[in-house]
Amino acid sequence: MTADPDNRRARLRSDVSLATRVLPTHYPLATFIAVNPLAGLEGMPFEQAIRRAGDLYGMKGTLHESTFREFHREGRITDCDLDRALMQRFPNLRDTPDLVLGGRCVSRLELLRSDLVHGTAAPEPQRRFLTRSEKQAEVVAGKVDAQTAKWCAAFLGAASWPMPGREDGFFAAWRALAPSDRTVPRAARAKLRRTAARADDAALQALSILGVDDDARIGYLQAHLTRMPGWAAHVQWCTGRDAGINMLDYLAMRLTCEAALLDHHRGTDARVIAEVPTGVTSARHRAAHLVELLGHSNVSDAEMAAAARVLTVLPVTAREMLWQNAFENNYRDELLTRLTYSDRPVTATKVHTQLVSCIDTRSEGLRRHLEVLDGYQTLGFAGFFAVAIRFTDLLGGAPSDLCPVLISPSYQVREIADPGAPDAACRRITGMSRLAGAASAFHTAKEGLAAPFSLAEAAGWAAAPLLAAKTLAPSATAAVRQRFVSAVAPESPTMLDLDGIPLDDRALFARVALTTMGLTRGFGRLVVLCGHGSTTENNPYQASLDCGACGGQQGGPNARTAVAIFNQPAVRDRLREMDIDVPADTWFLAAQHDTATDRVELLDTHLAPATHLDEIDRLRTDLAHVGSTLAAERCTMLPGTPRALSTGQAARHVVARASDWAQVYPEWGLAGNAAFIVAPREITRGLDLHRRTFLHSYDADVDPDGEALETILTAPLVVAQWINCQYYFSTVAPEVFGAGTKTIHNVIGKVGVVAGHTGDLRLGLPWQSVSDGKKLLHEPMRLLAVVEAPLDRIDTICDRNPILQRLFGNDWIALAARENPTEQWQRWTHAGWRPWDESHSSEIVYPEEIVQ
Amino acid sequence: MTASALTKMTKVEVVVPGSDAPAVRDLIQSVGATGYTSLSGVSGLGHNGYHQGRLLFNQQAALELIITVVPEPKIEALLTGLRPLLDASSGVMFVSETFVSRPDYFS
Repeated sequence: MTADPDNRRARLRSDVSLATRVLPTHYPLATFIAVNPLAGLEGMPFEQAIRRAGDLYGMKGTLHESTFREFHREGRITDCDLDRALMQRFPNLRDTPDLVLGGRCVSRLELLRSDLVHGTAAPEPQRRFLTRSEKQAEVVAGKVDAQTAKWCAAFLGAASWPMPGREDGFFAAWRALAPSDRTVPRAARAKLRRTAARADDAALQALSILGVDDDARIGYLQAHLTRMPGWAAHVQWCTGRDAGINMLDYLAMRLTCEAALLDHHRGTDARVIAEVPTGVTSARHRAAHLVELLGHSNVSDAEMAAAARVLTVLPVTAREMLWQNAFENNYRDELLTRLTYSDRPVTATKVHTQLVSCIDTRSEGLRRHLEVLDGYQTLGFAGFFAVAIRFTDLLGGAPSDLCPVLISPSYQVREIADPGAPDAACRRITGMSRLAGAASAFHTAKEGLAAPFSLAEAAGWAAAPLLAAKTLAPSATAAVRQRFVSAVAPESPTMLDLDGIPLDDRALFARVALTTMGLTRGFGRLVVLCGHGSTTENNPYQASLDCGACGGQQGGPNARTAVAIFNQPAVRDRLREMDIDVPADTWFLAAQHDTATDRVELLDTHLAPATHLDEIDRLRTDLAHVGSTLAAERCTMLPGTPRALSTGQAARHVVARASDWAQVYPEWGLAGNAAFIVAPREITRGLDLHRRTFLHSYDADVDPDGEALETILTAPLVVAQWINCQYYFSTVAPEVFGAGTKTIHNVIGKVGVVAGHTGDLRLGLPWQSVSDGKKLLHEPMRLLAVVEAPLDRIDTICDRNPILQRLFGNDWIALAARENPTEQWQRWTHAGWRPWDESHSSEIVYPEEIVQ
Repeated sequence: MTASALTKMTKVEVVVPGSDAPAVRDLIQSVGATGYTSLSGVSGLGHNGYHQGRLLFNQQAALELIITVVPEPKIEALLTGLRPLLDASSGVMFVSETFVSRPDYFS
C-alpha cells in the first residue's frame, strides 16, 4: 500500500473511475437518453460481457431459454435457424461422423439441437461480486441500501424542504446529518460521528475497517455500485457537472455506513456463496436425459459417453446465446432477402416534394404511407439535421441542448418575435408568464407546510370536477385546456436568430447534411425537414419518446434552424460553389411529426413565399391523410384499442390516448428496433418494414472519400446502438435495467422514478414500453447494420475508428454490406468479408466456470 | 530571459479516448494541479493502430490530448493515479521535465 496520503487518495480516485466503467449513465427524466447499460463492457465480446454482467448484477443477458423454446414451438425460430446458429458456432460439425445411440444413427447437429430444444434447464445467473455485508449480514446490506436511497433522494430529489447543508455538497451534508439519524443504532452513530471530513479519506478509512486491500478494491467498489445501480448511475451523470455530488462522495457514504453498521451488527445471517455455479448439470446427465426423451433404448455406456462428449462442447450456460443467434438470424435473413429483390416501385419521375425525416424507426411508417402519394420522395437523416444548437425559445428560460449527447452544442439559437408582429409576441409572452406563475403558485401552495389546507378549501371545489373530467373525457378536457391556453396566450409568429452562426459554418452544415443524406440534385419545389416529438400526459418517460438525436427533446427547433440556413441566399451561393445547386424555386420547410398522434405540424409557414403556399396547402392535406392512415396501422398494436377503426376514428383515438393521463401505452416508441439501413431509399421503398428499422439515406456515388459514411457510422449508428441496447436490456433484464411497471412509479424530483415510495432509482424503460402485459412487443435483438457502399471504403473507415472495431468485432452490432444491388450481401468478420449465409465463426470452447 | 531564471517543473501529457478524458481531468485537479490544456480530436498511429482525428458528430470516440504541468511534490500522486487508468485503457502518457517562467501559476 502506498504510504503517502496524497498518493493513496489519487490511487483511490483512479480505482473509483475504473470501477464505474461497469455502470450505465442515468440522465434526468427531462433529457432521458437511451444508453447501452453495458457500454463499459463493450471492449469485450457481447457474450463475455453479458456473462460478466451476470456476475456483477445477477441478471440474464438474453431472454430465458423457456421463452426461446416457446418461440420455437410457435415457429418464430425454426430448426433451420438453430442448425445455422450451431454451424456458425461449430463449423466442423457437419464433417464429423454420426453417433449411434441404441442402434440408431443420430447426427451431432441433431443431438445438439435436441439439447437446445429439450435439454435440462440452465442455472440462473448469480451475483458474484458481493459486499461484506451481503456476505456476512444481509440485513445490514439492506440497511446500507436504505440509507443510500434516503440520502440520495434527499439530496437529488429537489424536495420542497431542501436537505440541510445541501449547499456544501452531498458528502458534507450527509456527514453532518447522519450521526443524528435515529434510525441508525447508537453505536453506529457514534462511529459515523468520527467520519473523516474528506470523502476520499472517509472511503479509505472504511475500506480499511472492512478489510479490503488495494488489489481487491476495484472489485469491491463494483460490488457496491452494482448493488444499487440506479442511484449510482445517476451520480455518474452528476460527476463533473458541478452538481455537488460525485462518485467518490457516493461511495464514501455507502462504505462508511457499511463499516459502521457491520461493526455494530452481531447477527449470524451469513450468506454462503458457492464458489462455482450451482445447478450445472453434467454432460453425462444431459445425454441421459436426451436419450430418454428421444426414446432411444438399449444405449450402451460407450454410446452414452460419446453423446456426452458431444454435449460438452456446448455448456448449458452457453445455450441461450445460441438461441439468441438463431433468433436474430431468423429476422436478419428475412430482412436481407427482402432487400435483395429489385422490383421496388420506382421513385416518381417528377418529384414536387422531398420530406427528410429522422432516422427514427417510427419515421418509416410515415415515409412509407407518404410515398404512396404521387410526387413525394422521402429521405432519412439524424433528426438534429446537422445543427447542434443550444436553443432558447421565445419565453426565455433555461436553454436546451438540442443535439446528440456525443457532441456539445456549437451555437446558441434564439427564437425571436417576427418583426412584423411584435405585439403578438408580447401577448404570448405575457400570457404564458401568467399561466406559469399560476401553476407555480399552485404547486408551491400544494407543497408548503400549512398552505395545502387552505388550498384545498379554496380550489378543491374546482379541482375535483376537473380531475373527474380529465379521467372520464381526456380528449375533451385537453381540447378545452388548449383553447384556454390559446385564449390567454395566443400563438404568435416567430423566427430564429442565427446571427451567432458564421456563414462559413452555415454553409458547412448545409453541405454536410445534403451530402450525407445524398440529396445533391433533383430538388423538388418543397424540401421538408421533419423533426419529431411526442405529446403525452402524465408520463415521466415522455423524453424517451422524443428525438434521441436532439438530446431527448423535440426536434422542431433543429428543423427550423436547418431550414432557415438552407433558405438563405448566401448559403445557397456557397453550396453552388461546392457543386450543389439548389434551385431558386426550392423552398425548405420545417415540420414536426407527433409520434403519439401522427399529426405533422408545418412550422414557420408564415415565412414561406406566396409562390409556394398552394404546395404547402397540398402538403398539409396529404400529411393529414397520411397521419390518419398511419394511426390506423398503429392502432392494431396498441393495447385497448377498439377493433376495426376507420382511419378517421383511429386518428381521433390516438389523440385521445395521448391526452389521457391514465394511459400507460400512449405509443410504442422504438419498440421492435432491430436494424439500421444506410442506403438509398430505392432498396427499401415499397417495403413494409414494420417500423423496426432506422433508415439513413446514403448515396455512395456522392461520397467518394467516405466522409459522409464515416459520419453516419460513427454517430447516428452509435446512437442507434444505444437505443437498441436500451430496449434490449430493458426487455431481457427488466429487474436491473428496466424501470418496472409504470403503475407504481413515484417520481423523484427531476431525477427519475422509484418503484413504490423508496428504493433504488429505476434504470431503463418501463415494462409498458416493451410489453403489453401478455407478450413482448419488443423482440430483443442486437442491431443489424445494413450498408450499401464499397466494401473497401467500409474497411478503411473501420480501420481508423476503434469504436467501430469494438462494436462490429465484439458482436454488439452485426454488419452486412454490398457495393450495389447486383451483389450478394456480405458479412463483416475479423477474417474479412464473407457471404452472408456462410458460417463465419471459428470454434469457441467455453469454460464451464463463470467468467470473473 | 536566461534558463536560470526559469523554474523546473514536470509536464505530463496524456492521450486517451474522449470518454476517458473526464477521469484524467478529475485526477489532475484532485492532486492540486492548477490547470491543464485539453486538445480534442487528435489523430495518430499507435499501439492499437491508426486513430481517426476529429469526427464530425462524435466527440467521445475521438482521442483527446491533455497536458498539465505540476511542481515536484505533486507529480508522484498524479502518476500513481494515472498509471492504473492507463493500464486499463488504450491511452499513453509522456512525462518530461519542463521549465516555466511564472512558477506561482503552477503551485
